[in-house]
Amino acid sequence: MTPASGEIAGSGGGETPRRRKRRRWPLLLFFLLPALLLYTVFIVYPLISALQYSFFEWTGTRQDGFAGLSNFHDLLTKYPLSEQVWRALAHNTFFFIGTMLIQTTAGLLFAVLLHRSRRGKRFLQTAYILPHLVSPIVAGYLWSMMLNPQFGAVNAALRGIGLGGLAQPWRGDPHLALPVAIVVNAWQWVGFPMLLFAAALAGIPDEYHEAARVDGASAWQSFRRVTLPLLTPVLGIVTVLTFIGNFNILDLIYALQGSKGNPTYSTDVLGLLFYRTAFENPDANAIGESSALAVCMFVLIFGVSIVATRFFRRMEARLK
Amino acid sequence: MRKFCTVIAALSVVVAAPACAPSTKSSGDKVTLTVLSWRPEDTAGYKKIFAPFEKSHPKVKIDFKPIKNTEYATVLPTELKKSQGGPDVVQLKPYGPIQSLISAGNLVPLDGQVDVSKWDPTVLQAAKGKQDGKLYGVPYAMQTLQVLYNKKIFADQGIQPPKTWAEFTALCDKLKQAKITPLSTSGLQPWVLAVDHQIFGATRFGGDDFAKAAVAGTKKFTDPDFVASLDVTAKLKPYYPDKVTAVDYPDAQTLFTSGKAAMYPGGSYEVGPFTTSNPDLQIGFFDAPPAPGAKIDHAVTSGFVDGSYGVNAHSEHKAEATELVKWMATPEFGQLFASTLKQISAVPGTTPGDPLLAQAYQNFKTNGARYMMVVDFGYGNPLGRDQDGEALQKMLGGTSAADAGKLVQKGISAWFKPSGG
Repeated sequence: MTPASGEIAGSGGGETPRRRKRRRWPLLLFFLLPALLLYTVFIVYPLISALQYSFFEWTGTRQDGFAGLSNFHDLLTKYPLSEQVWRALAHNTFFFIGTMLIQTTAGLLFAVLLHRSRRGKRFLQTAYILPHLVSPIVAGYLWSMMLNPQFGAVNAALRGIGLGGLAQPWRGDPHLALPVAIVVNAWQWVGFPMLLFAAALAGIPDEYHEAARVDGASAWQSFRRVTLPLLTPVLGIVTVLTFIGNFNILDLIYALQGSKGNPTYSTDVLGLLFYRTAFENPDANAIGESSALAVCMFVLIFGVSIVATRFFRRMEARLK
Repeated sequence: MRKFCTVIAALSVVVAAPACAPSTKSSGDKVTLTVLSWRPEDTAGYKKIFAPFEKSHPKVKIDFKPIKNTEYATVLPTELKKSQGGPDVVQLKPYGPIQSLISAGNLVPLDGQVDVSKWDPTVLQAAKGKQDGKLYGVPYAMQTLQVLYNKKIFADQGIQPPKTWAEFTALCDKLKQAKITPLSTSGLQPWVLAVDHQIFGATRFGGDDFAKAAVAGTKKFTDPDFVASLDVTAKLKPYYPDKVTAVDYPDAQTLFTSGKAAMYPGGSYEVGPFTTSNPDLQIGFFDAPPAPGAKIDHAVTSGFVDGSYGVNAHSEHKAEATELVKWMATPEFGQLFASTLKQISAVPGTTPGDPLLAQAYQNFKTNGARYMMVVDFGYGNPLGRDQDGEALQKMLGGTSAADAGKLVQKGISAWFKPSGG
């Protein structure tokens, strides 16, 4: 609220803006309370309890003594966790880079093409966003059937057009399985960056492009020098949200490759590792170890997201 | 502001109310025992099985409460933690996974209460605490491992179950020429490959003798015999389905039940689902013949205990619950269980109703071997089964058998402490 508007409002009621604001709190609280309550019960409380769990030694579901940092120490030193944590982190990073390259680029391309097209825009937009409506578990299951080497549509189609040599054990080759998961994930989520980019594109005044054209800019130069810089804020949001989504990914990979990130853990990610450590772990201290992992994941994702958001804010500021 | 406090207070009452609701389990003198299980498909069967018990114990009513099997492992610890209103009798996984429940004090020790004097100690091991050696469950079923085959395909091709390894590979070649996948299996799921290894490799590494030596620490998984047994299993790759590393478990099952594959290395636990998905399928089974260089000169049937039933330490009706698991150790329960659910009962002196299972169980009793990676090495992270399967997956991708053996050794030695000679 600007001081000017505050004065005008204040002069009417005979109250200072500060008092007025204070009087509005109960009302605001009333409207915020239901969401706040749910948020506290389902997000804040589990987060805090996970943090607390991670500092204790566990025997099954029984909490034993204070363990200090030993659960975290185990994550980094105890085989097989010591090996799995870094491998999963590397896979998440690869997944994020791959998704940015494929999904975000394709999303931008579709948004630009649709922005220019006159016909079929609505239809195509809906078509691209449609996979978004399917649960990742279902999407993973559908693709696992299509990529099936015996009955699957993908290899059958390749053989049908005489490219049988390209038929691959898509989900079974340790070098292919993760890239395949990236592509399936991109297939499902491409509509999301596309929508955000489309909204941003619609917000760029045509005059800018006209001015560029008058100055003799080619279409590519106009896109590269005018459109792209103006998309920075959206690019920032897309990057951060993609990062959060990719580092938390579990369901799609679980449906495609099972809880062990088959084959030979080549698609194992932090989410799957957490699931296994918590629920498929014969170790009595499963709760301690998995909580420590969850805390590490939270710190990593939260930290990087904050740094990235700051970075993009600064880039935005430079635009203005 | 007072109003909002009231709202909060009201809301918290609403939230807390169900938690404080009194347990209404025993009405009058009748006690309801809740039995928690991961087998929703057996609900009708258990109703039939429990009927005689309810008849002889008129004050007890049994409520069979199944939970989806994929969620059971996450639900069970929470249910056992409830100070009241939890289940009374619970279905338990065998060997390793129950250890954390036992050390957390969630289960009642049953020594001296259940008559298991006639039971084979190796069967009881599945329900014992690794540290205190006490019995915490009554095993209900055994599973055996062998090669299942499609009788019709074998008849059409004019082939018989093989007696030697040479016969076995010859019939695989013949099937392959006839464009039938000889062996259906899943290279994508490590646990399936570990089963294959036990079926085809047990004779090569030496069955129980090797298992005992490995437990004692006198032999390692880098032992030439164990490495060779991995090699035997991986060398069957040409007979596995095309692109086997991408074949998932349900695909492997479908290949066999749809008649596209002639054989399926698997367990007695497959017979029920296979017959359900294709009632016309005529299944037979044979034990894999001794592999080249085998330490055992005859075929073996491997087996393991499927699980047990134990009593919740927080049960409000411990006496009745113990009475029920006591009954579960009697031939009356065993025979009912075997005939109703088409399983091999763990109770001594019972025979499976299904002739196929009866034959498998007989083979196990005469020439048995334990499924070592589950029975002996299923107690830590990583599970022996998973590590063994991962090693085989790597071999299908080109890793040498020696390196695979090293991987198994590395994984298991991360937690396993040999018992000493």
